[in-house]
Amino acid sequence: MTVLEMRGVTAGYGSAAAVRDLDLTVAAGEVVALLGPNGAGKTTTLKTAIGLIRPRAGEVRALGRVVDRRVDRTTRHGVVLVPDTRAIFSGLSVRDNLRLAARRGGPRWDSALERLPRLAPLVDRRVGLLSGGEQQMLALAKALLCRPKVLLVDELSLGLAPVAVKELLPVVRGLADDLGVGVLLVEQHVDLALGVSDRGVVLHHGRTALEASAAELLADRDAVHRAYFGADERND
Amino acid sequence: MDQLVLFVSLGFTVGAVYAVIGSSLVAIHSATGVLNFAQGSVALWGVWVAAELGTTGTLVLPVGELQLTDGPATIPVTVALGVISSTVLALLLHLLVLRPLRAAPALSQVAASVGVMLLVASLVPLRFDVTTTVARPILADSSVTILGAEVAVANLVMLGLAVGVALLLAGYLRFTRWGTATRASAEDEVAVLLTGYSPDRLAAVVWLVTGAATGLIAVVGSPSIGLDPLAYTFYVLPGLAAALVARLRSVLVACAAGLAIGSFQSVLLLLSTYDFWPVWAQAGFGDTVPFLVVVVALFVNGKSLPERGGVVSGRMPAVHPPTMRALPALLTLAGVLAAILLTEGSWRFGVVTSVIMALIALSLVVLTGYLGQISLAAMAFAGTGGFLLSRVTTEWGIPFPLSLLVPALGATVLGVVVGIPALRIRGAHLAVVTLAGALAIQNFVFGNPALTPYEGNLIADPTLGGLDLGVREGTNLTTIRFAFMVVVVVGALTWLTARLLSGRTGRAFLAVRSNERAAAAAGINVAATKLLGFGISAFLAGVGGCLIGYSRGQLSVESFSILVGLALLCTVYVAGITSLTGALLAGLLAPLGVAETFLESSLGLGEYYNLIAALALVVTAVLNPVGITGSVRAAITHARSRRQQHVLAA
Repeated sequence: MTVLEMRGVTAGYGSAAAVRDLDLTVAAGEVVALLGPNGAGKTTTLKTAIGLIRPRAGEVRALGRVVDRRVDRTTRHGVVLVPDTRAIFSGLSVRDNLRLAARRGGPRWDSALERLPRLAPLVDRRVGLLSGGEQQMLALAKALLCRPKVLLVDELSLGLAPVAVKELLPVVRGLADDLGVGVLLVEQHVDLALGVSDRGVVLHHGRTALEASAAELLADRDAVHRAYFGADERND
Repeated sequence: MDQLVLFVSLGFTVGAVYAVIGSSLVAIHSATGVLNFAQGSVALWGVWVAAELGTTGTLVLPVGELQLTDGPATIPVTVALGVISSTVLALLLHLLVLRPLRAAPALSQVAASVGVMLLVASLVPLRFDVTTTVARPILADSSVTILGAEVAVANLVMLGLAVGVALLLAGYLRFTRWGTATRASAEDEVAVLLTGYSPDRLAAVVWLVTGAATGLIAVVGSPSIGLDPLAYTFYVLPGLAAALVARLRSVLVACAAGLAIGSFQSVLLLLSTYDFWPVWAQAGFGDTVPFLVVVVALFVNGKSLPERGGVVSGRMPAVHPPTMRALPALLTLAGVLAAILLTEGSWRFGVVTSVIMALIALSLVVLTGYLGQISLAAMAFAGTGGFLLSRVTTEWGIPFPLSLLVPALGATVLGVVVGIPALRIRGAHLAVVTLAGALAIQNFVFGNPALTPYEGNLIADPTLGGLDLGVREGTNLTTIRFAFMVVVVVGALTWLTARLLSGRTGRAFLAVRSNERAAAAAGINVAATKLLGFGISAFLAGVGGCLIGYSRGQLSVESFSILVGLALLCTVYVAGITSLTGALLAGLLAPLGVAETFLESSLGLGEYYNLIAALALVVTAVLNPVGITGSVRAAITHARSRRQQHVLAA
């Protein structure tokens, strides 16, 4: 079942389009890695998927409804973005951050600690005092409490040691496997990302340069490299 | 001792209003990042709606009115409708004005909320019979004895209400999920959105609650405080002082500080009745308290005040340095001279006032448009110039044109002194300091009988080499000689300022405006640049004040009231605060200038002048922050580039 569908989406800032005519789908329980060099349009794609940026052309549908500019409502319906700024509040405690995300009728705030047990001893600490890896864990925990059906993750690894990334990515995979969450994962560490993904999409200059299963992409590294640097496939 | 208890408790009534306004400002700042200068106006409107219902049973709306009962309405009805009116006003302020400006620079937010403040203040005298000074009592007239003093129950009820409101607000922000989300939105609004909350809706809740609380405390307190068409507007200053003492974080501290300021002012009143109290400190001294509190609070914890985690920081209006072309300058000059020669009577007086006002507007363009320092005190600098002029000409006998220079230098000194806080304080906080300073100067200096004689400040006419340059001659309201003198002075100063702004100094100003750290890294002495800007601006305003003084022959506190200053700020902002042309246009639109003369004598609508100016300011701040000159320039550029494209295509 498709949970996120982008059809012919063109979007960007001001007069410059960062994403052009993009088609992308994510199915329930599937992890899709969105790869590409700096400025390829990865973050723009995620922001457009949740409605922070309105597409200039094309349509975004998530969970059967058209995504509009009312991001808070889209989030409550189960489309959750973990941005590269992490969307956590450094002035509040870990507990307050989690309580904000845990809504009435949903899972209790401490249920998120089951998947991320390393946060448990930190619940009373102010978020500003956590390490980068701990903050990223909190960002994931917060997203979890929003009961996502579509999870958009932007650069989980930003500013983190590869060891920390290795700990977080399996949590994302687990959400897809256990709860059937459809995940769109933007990542710089190509190998790590493809290691937990079902499928990979390489963007270049806002267009899809390559799309294949994760296994194929891991096997054919040259193709990924060419797509990264924008070489046309006819030049093979 | 019993006297002290009595006066402290008397101060609770007005202190409670300060406290609730202060608590509200903290809560609103948490929710939206805005310092709302119009919170006192929210109180003012509710008070007058309730007062009118209490006397005639008429519900007055901004436009139109409803006759609810034949006689006075019952007390519960008056209080309820007063509170509802305040609440609706606060919500409208949020939805129509400040929400669209969420991502705008501090200047736009300050301008818009000052505009609303002025709008309400000018609407009240038009809509209500403001000769009424006493409101019908709401609270029971009984008293209890505390520490030997007869303390009115009403004062204690006010104290209880203020503390109750603060506890309610603090509890909401601290213990509820929405309250936590509100505090979180102060840090990062997009993150709140991505957690599934609408920052707009969270802010609306806070506006609603604080609007109602502010209305309630003011309406209930109004019988003791008295009715006044203006005073409540400026209760926002002690409120701001209290909020800043609380570092814009703690609602409870703000409440305590507000009550303390109210009681302290009341005790000052007690002290001023004793013999040892100096005469000069008898009048208006209480009004300096908020200013002193603001300065101390900002200086002590300036750095630790929360700054909004701006995800989208708004662009400031563009600046185009003056190009120093001769033709437009000469055409303007010719236009002004023609206007002087072709008019007479009140019209020529309007033209001359416009020219003078253009100079004061120029001082705002330099300080706020170019240097980016939001000052609401321009008129206080002008006033300093004018009042010094009175001393200089009547007591010291200094001749013209030195008589312009000395007061202007006095204003410059004051400007540099006011600029010193600006070395640590920026944006909306600086606006608070300058507004509090302007109010303190107005009430403590200009309005103080010990410093300013009752008969007004007389000013001797200027003469130069035996030539009488006085403004009046027989029945002639404005002599051509005086008008030409004004044009020469203003023209020369404008030319000098333009030279300054088009060169290295202007570039340094712009660098400081856009990013102080980057400017410092580029080798600009930020502190010296700021003080220079404040000095130049105060000098220009000071000369302007002198010219106003000469044009009137005498000055009173009304000549340079804060309302005139705010109305001038309105017109400069509307005309375009980032260009010299904007200053000239602002002169035309300024209070007592050509535009007001036109409203007054041709349309008979002079009383609507402030209302129109305030409305124009709000609309400009929300829809067109570059002002009239900015949008005209944009239109010209657009037309030119279209024509070029046509040429290229052909």
